[in-house]
Amino acid sequence: MTHDLLNGLPSAEIEGILALGTRLIVPAGTSLFRLGDTADRLFLTERGRIRLTLPMQVRGKEEEILVEERSAGQTVGWSALIPPYRFTLTAHAPLESEVIALPREALREHFSAHPAVGYKIALNLAIVMGHRLQLFQTMWVREMQRAVEVRSA
Amino acid sequence: MEMLLMGLCMSVFGLGVAALAFGAATRSESSDATVQPELPLVTAAAPARFFSDRVPVPPAVLPRQVPIEILLMQIENHVRLEQAAAESFVEFPTQALLHSKTTSPFVN
Repeated sequence: MTHDLLNGLPSAEIEGILALGTRLIVPAGTSLFRLGDTADRLFLTERGRIRLTLPMQVRGKEEEILVEERSAGQTVGWSALIPPYRFTLTAHAPLESEVIALPREALREHFSAHPAVGYKIALNLAIVMGHRLQLFQTMWVREMQRAVEVRSA
Repeated sequence: MEMLLMGLCMSVFGLGVAALAFGAATRSESSDATVQPELPLVTAAAPARFFSDRVPVPPAVLPRQVPIEILLMQIENHVRLEQAAAESFVEFPTQALLHSKTTSPFVN
């Protein structure tokens, strides 16, 4: 299994990072974390799918609306590495899934002891975050364009 | 001669009187015949709409509200299509791809 967060690291270093984590089975239909929870762990998806949602009012009722979906090899919950360490989305598994939970404090200590690993992971994290930023700014502009067209019609 | 003229005048006068009487008689008959049939009374007058912003739409024209499950599926489908479109743009950024159309019912 190749994880986007661990790209480019030697296998020994990958093993070192994975050893910090705990494997978790997320039963189908259960939440991994909820919007506003303290983000003290980062998750590497091993199998299954994780849906990331935000609440939205639909016909006067609050519904969780899909924002993104993560699958095997992808990282979930990078809010654990970014202040104020609060999840800004809700994550739940539509089917039984497996993740590796990496505690923030354990990662911080590991990075202090192995700065080259920390540097590489920080770069990989920047790629994950940058990609999401690009996607969402594109989606935002597309929605804005439509709003402008509707308003000027 | 005088008698003839007198007779002629009397006949012309008589003819005029007869014509007037006939005209009066026939006018009253025709006006009676052209009386409009009684129209049913309009009990509720339609509201004036000349200066109204809102034109009420008859209920039959309103679209049927889709079930919430279908609506949520449409929202999710829209998000997926938008993400795919955004992915295409990020992969190969052009103005055409930035505003490419999708088949989402929310934008069509």
